[in-house]
Amino acid sequence: MIEVMGLTKKFKEVTAVDNISFKVNKGEIVGLLGENGAGKTTTLRMISTMLKPSLGTAKICDLDLIKNPDEVRKKIGILFGGEVGLYDRLTARENIKYFADLGGLSNEEANRNIDMLAEMLDMKEYIDRRVGKFSRGMKQKVAIARAIVHNPEVMLFDEPTIGLDVSSSAIVQDFILDCKKRQRAIVFSSHSMREVEKLCDRVVIINKGKLVYEGTVEDLKNENNGEDLERVFLRMVGGKNE
Amino acid sequence: MNSLWGIVFKKELKDLFRDKKTVITSIILPLVLFPIIFGLMGKSAKSSVEKVTKEVKIAYVGEDNSLKKFLASAPNIKIINSKDYQEDVKKGDVYLAVVVGDRFEEKLSQDKMADIKIIYDSDSGDSQTAMSVVRDMINAYKEEVVKNRLLSKGIDVSILNPIEIKDEPLKKEKANEGALVLNMLLPLYLLIYAVTGPMAAAIDLGAGEKERGTLEPLLTTQASRMQLLFGKLCAISVMGIIGTTSSLTGLMIAFKNSPDFFGSANLSLSVGSIALIGLTAIVLNMIFASVELAVSIYAKSFKEAQTYLTPITVVGMIAAYGTFMLDVKNASIMLFNVPLVNIALILKEFIIGVYNPLHISITFAWAIVYILASILFARYMFSREDVIFRT
Ligand SMILES: Nc1ncnc2c1ncn2[C@@H]1O[C@H](COP(=O)(O)OP(=O)(O)OP(=O)(O)O)[C@@H](O)[C@H]1O
Ligand SMILES: [Mg+2]
Repeated sequence: MIEVMGLTKKFKEVTAVDNISFKVNKGEIVGLLGENGAGKTTTLRMISTMLKPSLGTAKICDLDLIKNPDEVRKKIGILFGGEVGLYDRLTARENIKYFADLGGLSNEEANRNIDMLAEMLDMKEYIDRRVGKFSRGMKQKVAIARAIVHNPEVMLFDEPTIGLDVSSSAIVQDFILDCKKRQRAIVFSSHSMREVEKLCDRVVIINKGKLVYEGTVEDLKNENNGEDLERVFLRMVGGKNE
Repeated sequence: MNSLWGIVFKKELKDLFRDKKTVITSIILPLVLFPIIFGLMGKSAKSSVEKVTKEVKIAYVGEDNSLKKFLASAPNIKIINSKDYQEDVKKGDVYLAVVVGDRFEEKLSQDKMADIKIIYDSDSGDSQTAMSVVRDMINAYKEEVVKNRLLSKGIDVSILNPIEIKDEPLKKEKANEGALVLNMLLPLYLLIYAVTGPMAAAIDLGAGEKERGTLEPLLTTQASRMQLLFGKLCAISVMGIIGTTSSLTGLMIAFKNSPDFFGSANLSLSVGSIALIGLTAIVLNMIFASVELAVSIYAKSFKEAQTYLTPITVVGMIAAYGTFMLDVKNASIMLFNVPLVNIALILKEFIIGVYNPLHISITFAWAIVYILASILFARYMFSREDVIFRT
């Protein structure tokens, strides 16, 4: 589903992402783990065609993102950052509909999907209210619905739980698990080993733009004789734990 | 309108129209502001004159004579007894005091010269209004005296008036007066409106999108950057044009409602002129809309966008005031190649009903160049990764 091949991004002198390769299969959650500035966001931005790779490429559902960015965009949904950006003066439905329209859905399709999502995420009672005064959790659900209204086969999450309280985090985590059930391919970035351990099948650890580990969470545990994975992670990224 | 840019356009307009602040500041305020201001100013100026001329309160000092009777006979003059007329004029109890000299009536009857002093307050508008009323009355009295003197000598009054001058203005003179006012004000206003009208929308749709964090999901939709840009640009231009329209409508209501304030200048324009002026206003709004959008996309936040847009406002204002006194009749063809100045000049031509094909084509060709250049500039900004993801 996702095949990342030697992705590299240079910003002037800084090499933010340095020759990273990994694969994500259908129905699999891969954790992209790294500290601040490791290059997680940059990697996900390249996969989602927002940034052009300096070198390398990736294939999404066998489509090359450099040759076919428009087709690739049809296949992906993104949920970036803890801050959910919504249009406050539009209703929840209008927010979602805008992205459905821009995703090329027909009116019927869009409305059907929105009604389904409203049901699924339990937001029927406020779907037609303006989002300006929504609580954080309500907004989170709208952002989630917006990300998948066009039925993407690939979901990219960039630290989606950052800054969220326990219940909002739970909404997002449940949603990620639901995506897995629906056989989507999921990349999920985080700087918390705990979260990755809980959700992911496999983990990709990057440090200063370079890949330092790729494998299943199980293998990582076995290789380290059941040592606390948080400590393993710290060791891998150079142990600057302050 | 199901193209992607059309979806963007419709959504942005809906979003903008739901913003109370934008609607009030760019549509409602300009519509009512001018009529209210000019209405109040006109009313107070008018009512003060009305109040004075309705009842001209004066003090009369000196002998009781035919002049006093003559003044008192005017229905709007009221003679008030005054002990200290200097003080009363100062306090405004009377608007002025008429002081007749010694043996006034006697001197007149002997064909001699008599004198009158009028004491008034030169700082008071009311006093001066009263002055002109009283002066007219005294002049009328004077003419009566002259007439009687001549008659008693058997001479016709017309001997005093060997030449009579009748001034007859050309019929179109009045229209020109209006065109003169328009010529100075309209380009100025249109420039200012075109700078300020699209600004709030441009800030919201450029920097605002970044600040809200909606840009990233937007960039991963099917809409290309050019489609996003074009939809936004059209929405911003529409807001600008609506702003210009409501400002002009407000101005026109003010003109119509307060003729006392503006004089009776006749502001008639031909349909052709109005259409061309409208077209120019649209073009002008599009120019500023695209420049402002490009700057706004470059900015990181609302605040930054406001800071960057201030110099643009200043440039617009300088151009606007610079063209204020510009006389289109003596303008060289070179000036039609100067940005903004050419647009002000062409507007001035349209107002006086001159349609010079050469001037029009030069100006509009340049306008298209400006618009294309600023769209390309905006597109360039929108395609630069370091601009889109500036943190
Ligand atoms: N647009 C840009 N221009 C220049 N440098 C950038 C840009 N975006 C990111 N960088 C740099 O690239 C490196 C990786 O950044 P990135 O945002 O991908 O890290 P991250 O893993 O997402 O970190 P965080 O956990 O803080 O979100 C950093 O050193 C960052 O300063
Ligand atoms: Mg990041």
